[in-house]
Amino acid sequence: MAKTNEETKFLDEEDKIENRSVPNTKLRYLEHRGNRNNMWRIFNFVLLAAGSLLILSPLWWMFATSLKTMAEVMSYPPSFFPESWEWTNYIRAWNAAPFTTYTINTITITTFVVIGSVMANSFIAYGFAKIPFRGKSIWFAIVLSTMMIPGFVTLIPQYILFSNLGWVNTYYPLIVPHFFGSAFYIFLLRQFYMTIPTELIEAAKMEGASHFYIWWKIGLPLTKPALATVVIFSFNGAWNDFLGPLLYLNDENLYTLQLGLAVFKGQLSTQWNYLMAGSLLVLLPVILLFFFFQKYFIQGINLSSGGK
Amino acid sequence: MKNIRISMLLLTILTLTLSGCAGFQTSNNEEANVNEDGKTVVDFWSFWGSELRRPIIDKIVADFNESQDEIEVRHTYSPWGDIWTKELAAIAAGNPPDVVINDINATAIRGKENQAMNLSEFIDEDFSEKFYPELWEATLYEGDSYGIPFNTDTRVLFYNKDAFEEVGLDPEDPPETWAELEEYATKLDVKENGEYDRLGFYPLWGVGYDVWLLNANGQNYFGEDNNTDTVNINTERNVEVLNWLKSWRERIGEDVVNSYQAQIDSQQGNPFFSGDLAMIVQQPTFYQQISEYAEDLNFGVVQLPEYEPGSGHTSWGGGFVAEIPEGSSDPEAAWEFIEYLTGKEAQTYWAVENFDNIANIEAAEAASESDELTEEGQMVYQIAVESMEDTLLTPAPVEAPGFYNYINPQVDEFFLGQKTAEEALAQAEEDVKNLIEENQ
Repeated sequence: MAKTNEETKFLDEEDKIENRSVPNTKLRYLEHRGNRNNMWRIFNFVLLAAGSLLILSPLWWMFATSLKTMAEVMSYPPSFFPESWEWTNYIRAWNAAPFTTYTINTITITTFVVIGSVMANSFIAYGFAKIPFRGKSIWFAIVLSTMMIPGFVTLIPQYILFSNLGWVNTYYPLIVPHFFGSAFYIFLLRQFYMTIPTELIEAAKMEGASHFYIWWKIGLPLTKPALATVVIFSFNGAWNDFLGPLLYLNDENLYTLQLGLAVFKGQLSTQWNYLMAGSLLVLLPVILLFFFFQKYFIQGINLSSGGK
Repeated sequence: MKNIRISMLLLTILTLTLSGCAGFQTSNNEEANVNEDGKTVVDFWSFWGSELRRPIIDKIVADFNESQDEIEVRHTYSPWGDIWTKELAAIAAGNPPDVVINDINATAIRGKENQAMNLSEFIDEDFSEKFYPELWEATLYEGDSYGIPFNTDTRVLFYNKDAFEEVGLDPEDPPETWAELEEYATKLDVKENGEYDRLGFYPLWGVGYDVWLLNANGQNYFGEDNNTDTVNINTERNVEVLNWLKSWRERIGEDVVNSYQAQIDSQQGNPFFSGDLAMIVQQPTFYQQISEYAEDLNFGVVQLPEYEPGSGHTSWGGGFVAEIPEGSSDPEAAWEFIEYLTGKEAQTYWAVENFDNIANIEAAEAASESDELTEEGQMVYQIAVESMEDTLLTPAPVEAPGFYNYINPQVDEFFLGQKTAEEALAQAEEDVKNLIEENQ
């Protein structure tokens, strides 16, 4: 996520610089257009490459640490390349806890959370964007205002609520809330829906389609880029969630990957090399997902151009 | 419409299938504390999940369960540190586990805040005598105990006997006082071309400044029974101790201190193992690393030296208690398990397998003679047991939770040269006094 923000920022800045220089040097610019274009391309390339390297360096650090021995991890000055490449760290890390079970558990939770987030938020957002009803803006403001409440404030009351429902030590507290929408996604999707012409909806209505049908047949397909954003964010959120599983799961057979990674952090010492090896394995799906959805993701986050 | 129906159908099927999975089965809270055989289930949470500790605690639990007809203990691992966040939420919801391992230093505070149960109804008159008095006292709030000490630690001085012999020191006569410590350390230094081939000693590796303050004073910052009417932070002696500590740093040099520190942190590369460092203060469990990484090292171990002859070999420790969270469904059964956990058999087993200090005196003495330890192991454990007699805990008074967060930054500024020892300690004392006032 950080990557895209940074990258788009870079691009924006590039644009600004270019735009600024155009009027002043318009003539010369036109004369040496080919030359300048090349210059710009090289400049862009170097700048972006440097930026990428900078952003990738923590990832490299993680990777390098995961292949070091504990002695090398702690050595001073630190080494940039591992001396001996300890690939067995990965096997040992994976076997330090039942990570296979944790993976299945995490995938189960994440799948439901993603389905819930996409369906519920899209449905709610459609309503806010395209169905006129009384007090709509007030309701929308109330929904948005929930974003102002820090998660930690509602943590204990929420726990008590789920505990009274008998849901502690199940996946329900981790999944069910996502089927009821979240202000951030609702806002994101509503803005996207606003760019869809109302005529389209009205035309469908005249043909006798219900709102549910329109949402399913027209709304969902047209908002794909924004939905990709929701997929990535909710996937990331569920996949990386530590506090939720920590609080609600008591049975170790239900634990998730993030809880499993905590095994390497002990009272007296931290097994950094195993922690990094484990973290990299856990990070892999997130990176893959990002690569697959990257195109949509950037379209989706860039709301101004999203509907075009 | 067909599409919708098919999708909805699939979703329903998926939901129904998954509701067969464990994570989707809800259980009735009231029935949860009895198992299929009608035994009472005791939920036991610890943070011992490592490859070393997990099997040891699981064995203790299994042994207990085997000896029981009425109770079944179920052990759950939760991540270190976060386990207590989880516990707090569970207590707030009235659905806590029955036994939790928790930090001994905040036991009184948890008692005050009604998070841990008052255990006095279970405790016999002479029950407390089983444990080191310093540990027992840390569990008391207004005279009642809120947790039973489980394991603990202390700080002792390890030294390299070969290095002692090499410079003409008697390897059986380690330093007894700070003056001797300093004298021996300089003798043990080997410097060539301005670089250290061997360093005698540096006091702040392995322990913090507070251990030396404790050692010099023979008592913590607060008054008797941790009462906060007295605050002894800005004292002449403390100023002297801080300056003494800094003088080591100045003599040895910042760079040397930092590069040695990095090696010590690496565990395996500790300069004490290679003979590049002649003395170091560590926990007795350090012996485990010696036997792993420097099997042939000829080392001795001794209690911390005295500030001045007769002032006492005061050392510093911490530890963990087994406690029953407020709201536990079956405190009687939980107590039975705690009694076993802190009893001689389980404690000795834990001590020997982990090479860890334990709270039960009888068990500690048994462990120091255990055949399962090597001769060296017995020697170290013996000193550890002796040091326990002189070990102080620094539990936070209920009026000053987290008081060290107010002292540490000041002392850091002193070591960085931004403040004199007097200025730093005066500010620290003022901050801690303010904290106490706020909490009164």
